[in-house]
Amino acid sequence: MLLPAHDYAQPGSLDEALALLNASPATSRAIAGGTDLIYNMRGRLEQPELVVSLRRLPELQGVRQLSDGSLRIGAGERLADLLRNEAVQRWSALAGAIRSVASSHVRNMATLGGNLCLQTRCWYTNQSEEWRAGRGPCLKTGSPDCHALPGVEVCVALNNADLAPLLIAMQATATLASAGGRRELPLEDFYTDDGIAHTVLGPGELLLALTIPPPPGPAVYWKHSSRTGLDFSWGTVGASATMADGRPVALRVVLGSLTTRPLLLDAPVRTILEQGLGDDAIAAAQDALRGELGALTNLYTPAAYKRELARILLKRALLRLRES
Amino acid sequence: MNREMIRLTVNGDPYELLASPRQTLLDVIRGPLGLTGTKEGCTTGSCGVCTVHNASGEAVLSCLTPALEWDGEAVTTIEGLETSGRLDEIQQAFIDHHAVQCGFCTPGVIMSARAVLNEHPSPQMDQINDGMSGVICRCTGHIKVREAIRAVGSKLDRRV
Amino acid sequence: MSTEARPGVIGRRQPRLDGFEKVSGRAQFTDDVVLPGMLYGKILRSPHARARIRRIDTSRAERLPGVKAIVTGEEIPGLMFSKHQPVLARGVVNYVGEEVAALAALDPVTAEDALRLIDVEYEPLPAVTTLREALRTGAPQIHEHAPGNIGPVKLQDFGDPDAAFAASDLVLSDQFRTPMQHNTLAEFHVALADFSDPQRLLMWTPTQSAPMYQKGLAQGFGLSDSQVRILYHHVGGAFTGRGRPKPHHFIAALLSRKAGRPAKIRATNDEEFIVFRGSGDTHYSFRTGVTRDGRILALEADVTFDCGAWDEWAMILWLPALYLNWVYRTEAIRYRGRFVYTNSVPKGSHHGGIFGRMSAGWMQHINRVAEELGMDPVEFHLRNAVEQGDTTMDASTFHSCGLKDCIRDAAERAGWKDKYGRLPPGRGIGIGIGAQASGSKGASNDTSAAMVKVAEDGIVTVYTGIPDMGQGSHTAMAMIAAEVLGIEPADIRIVAGDSEVTPFDWGAFSQRGTFTTGNAVKAAAEDARQQLAAVAAEALGVEPDALEFCGRKVWPAGAPERALAFTDVIGHTFNGLEGRFIMGRGFFNSPRKFGALAFSFGAQVAEVEVDRETGEIRVLKITAAHDIGRAINPLAVEGQLDGQVFSGLSQVLFEECRVEGGQVLNPSRLEYKLPRTWELPEVDYRLIETIDPYGPFGAKEVGEGPIIVTMSAVANAVADALGGMVPEIPMTPWRVLRVLRARERHGAGPIHPPGLPEGDQAA
Repeated sequence: MLLPAHDYAQPGSLDEALALLNASPATSRAIAGGTDLIYNMRGRLEQPELVVSLRRLPELQGVRQLSDGSLRIGAGERLADLLRNEAVQRWSALAGAIRSVASSHVRNMATLGGNLCLQTRCWYTNQSEEWRAGRGPCLKTGSPDCHALPGVEVCVALNNADLAPLLIAMQATATLASAGGRRELPLEDFYTDDGIAHTVLGPGELLLALTIPPPPGPAVYWKHSSRTGLDFSWGTVGASATMADGRPVALRVVLGSLTTRPLLLDAPVRTILEQGLGDDAIAAAQDALRGELGALTNLYTPAAYKRELARILLKRALLRLRES
Repeated sequence: MNREMIRLTVNGDPYELLASPRQTLLDVIRGPLGLTGTKEGCTTGSCGVCTVHNASGEAVLSCLTPALEWDGEAVTTIEGLETSGRLDEIQQAFIDHHAVQCGFCTPGVIMSARAVLNEHPSPQMDQINDGMSGVICRCTGHIKVREAIRAVGSKLDRRV
Repeated sequence: MSTEARPGVIGRRQPRLDGFEKVSGRAQFTDDVVLPGMLYGKILRSPHARARIRRIDTSRAERLPGVKAIVTGEEIPGLMFSKHQPVLARGVVNYVGEEVAALAALDPVTAEDALRLIDVEYEPLPAVTTLREALRTGAPQIHEHAPGNIGPVKLQDFGDPDAAFAASDLVLSDQFRTPMQHNTLAEFHVALADFSDPQRLLMWTPTQSAPMYQKGLAQGFGLSDSQVRILYHHVGGAFTGRGRPKPHHFIAALLSRKAGRPAKIRATNDEEFIVFRGSGDTHYSFRTGVTRDGRILALEADVTFDCGAWDEWAMILWLPALYLNWVYRTEAIRYRGRFVYTNSVPKGSHHGGIFGRMSAGWMQHINRVAEELGMDPVEFHLRNAVEQGDTTMDASTFHSCGLKDCIRDAAERAGWKDKYGRLPPGRGIGIGIGAQASGSKGASNDTSAAMVKVAEDGIVTVYTGIPDMGQGSHTAMAMIAAEVLGIEPADIRIVAGDSEVTPFDWGAFSQRGTFTTGNAVKAAAEDARQQLAAVAAEALGVEPDALEFCGRKVWPAGAPERALAFTDVIGHTFNGLEGRFIMGRGFFNSPRKFGALAFSFGAQVAEVEVDRETGEIRVLKITAAHDIGRAINPLAVEGQLDGQVFSGLSQVLFEECRVEGGQVLNPSRLEYKLPRTWELPEVDYRLIETIDPYGPFGAKEVGEGPIIVTMSAVANAVADALGGMVPEIPMTPWRVLRVLRARERHGAGPIHPPGLPEGDQAA
């Protein structure tokens, strides 16, 4: 599991980095914390010819409070540094979500952008090359077959980016940069339903920053995993609400890790907005989940458990909003 | 594949060496530098035996980071914890509390423990749990490891 | 001469003597060893569960600069790993990961790159990768010699089970399953061989038993034992996983012989799950017959093991028959065990061996028997537990036994009476009990030998073949020698880790270290002491057996004011006319023909909390009481208990190789789940010290006894929280929810694990 042969470049500015990436977009990859990329390179899921280091780029650093109260966070900010940032600490759900990522060791290396761009995961694919030889290639590694859900035409690997559900619920905006310019989009539009091209990042494009508006009301986050430390989640939920008289008048709930893209819930949220946060309303919202999940895989946890977990995640998020 | 000359300060000693993009920080520490106290384990960031400190005294996984990324940086390994031949107090506490068994994970576990104490001189249990969840120690089950960290932490308490 | 324990070294909380090396990073493990000219080896493994090898083409790899040796099975036809099993596959492969070819190169990068250049053409064959598939009528047969894929079978009756079951007022049976599990040793598997001289094989590798490795390799290569030298530095954990040489040891030797240079092979993250033989999928059927007043008349266990493609570890097959004798008094026992071949990696054992895994189900079953009788499980255990002086049907005699005291103590300290049956929903309490043998004699001897060298400055060197894989044996041996000679553990040097230097010792398995090697070291130290006593007695004008050795001094009993310094006694003879150099020797071998001489016992109470929505389980507290004889070093004993509580709850709640098509889907330290710091419960332990007449200073094993008990206690606590037996481990959230749903529908009756094919009962 050694690293495949590649070249390495350490540009001094963002423009230089984007130019390098743009010169050979298909065969170059950017490295920030490296915790995901190096892992995947060892398994030869990634075999870039050029690795471009983002380590010294000031443009990707910094946490700034904007005039409207929003936080603009550079994608290259280390998770550990964010946890020490006073502005981040004030948003306790966000701080909790960051703290739930992996271990302190990983958070001392990994970045916000790296977590949001985390490669999708599948236990037939995220293995060593030798291991994969036993199973044969799949959609992601160059065949028409999917081992996780036989027959599907689009890769169903899971999105385990722990921070995505809450940040989507909080209506974060992503700023993307490429040699061709910059663009902004809501974070929910950053992800796709395809486990291979799981973000909308174009060739040579980078996630530059996240802008998070101030929470209009309570925000909650919960991660369910096998154990508390160093684990990808089995399921996460992020929710943010605007409350009036103990009732949400605006609500966003996002489930993570169950599917290929973080799920911004629709029907359950409408149920709550119509019926409030009473027990019956929550039960109705849970039932309304049925149509939202789509096909679930047995990756890491059985599909039936994922279905059950989705109900629990939703319920617990709503209960916490009610209590807040 | 480009190889580059990098400058690395390890345990206060300056090194200049040729590194390839295929080498991780761990490869360089154990290989050309010959500092075999840092162990190679899963090489995927899950076991923590390769833990070293960055210049800020934070625990990082040397198996998951390319050596070239560390050009100009300072690193501390288990060999660098001693001062003038004396063990660091967390090292001594590991001996006193029997927080060491087979010893293979011990360098990584101690570097993790030291990092916890660097950040929280008198750590609470949840700070210990958080800081130590990146390592596995099947022998001790972490129980006496936590004891040793607490012992050093509470000693600091008394000094205040 | 009395060397009974007294206020001295034994029983002291002694920090481990190798602590400094280990905490400072100086401790050298095998992978830290780099020999001049050393090559780096890699193994090419089968991607197929079963296939014919049509062709292996190594020419592209050979042409890669830096590649120094390539080996395939065809060029070493005589080299067998076990009776039917070649070291490198020939003709067919029988599991994913089977060794097909190997090479050694100047550096790891070249080795790994070269491996990709070996072309193998396979013709896939129909495979059976699970017990269910292997036992199905008409299933493809893996080995010619094994119709129905049935491997070795063990049938053993003690007493008259049919009559005893017939005489029982109540007979209950339950089924249980344990999955494939892996030890996740800290130090990955590694072998460094120097076979440059084909008459002499040097092998650096972590091991639990140098003789097993020495004999295994010698046999394979047609050498005598002494032509193989096993060198082990510090050993990074073993947990039953380093008992015998593995294919990579042979392959490293082959590569070294061919290249004429040392060669090292180290397993990668996922290779660990192939190289290491963990335990396999195992199905259990338990049956127990009792009288109305709660006396056990008959015990039965029927165990089907997935042994993988080869039966590498026969001991696991027959051990459960013995274990059924060691916990309860009963009139009859029936055991049936069988190995079933599947196209999967050959299996071995896990921490706690077969006893821990079996007990996680057996104790739940026993608990159900008690409850069915309307008895408190604690009362039921006390009614039936073995006692000191008992001789069992497998001819084991318990010369010391504190089992009942352990049960009472653990139950009382845990507040059992106030909690059992009275906890709020979602909480559970369970008790587990168990026993473990201290060493075990099989077909051959069970010998440990030791030597002691006394230097002029009073420093004593103990030469021992017991490896210290973390359990603390070297410190315990130093304490034993120090106690006998009246000096301090710090005065002792341990020389170990080289089969050429140390006297014979089978090593550290079957919990024989403290007991067997301890007795050998004690004998060797006593031999040295006797020689010193003769000198001191002459100098002091008293009889040799009237001397006290303590505090680095020697004096006539009752007259400490006449003490000679320990070093002066040495000087009297070494620098005297005789010039004698003091060396002691000793060995120990159980006088029994078969089985163990001493047994440890224990009881634990576990308390858990179950989240009935998510199915998550949290272990809140473990209250443990163990009879391990005398604790030589209570500090190390606590460490052993901690580790086993951790590992036991880990196995019951977390650990499982998720297998599909003979391939492990989670072969990593990330996805093969183990708890970490957050999941640790509060552990409260007490030692119930019985003094075993055969143990060194009364000591018995503490190497695996506790984990067996933890596994049964935790399993019972979860069963209590869920309202009945949980039919398989690990008790993952989705299994917990499945059990809860089933209980809602069907009440408290037995729930069966996913089973074997219908009608499969033929042995």
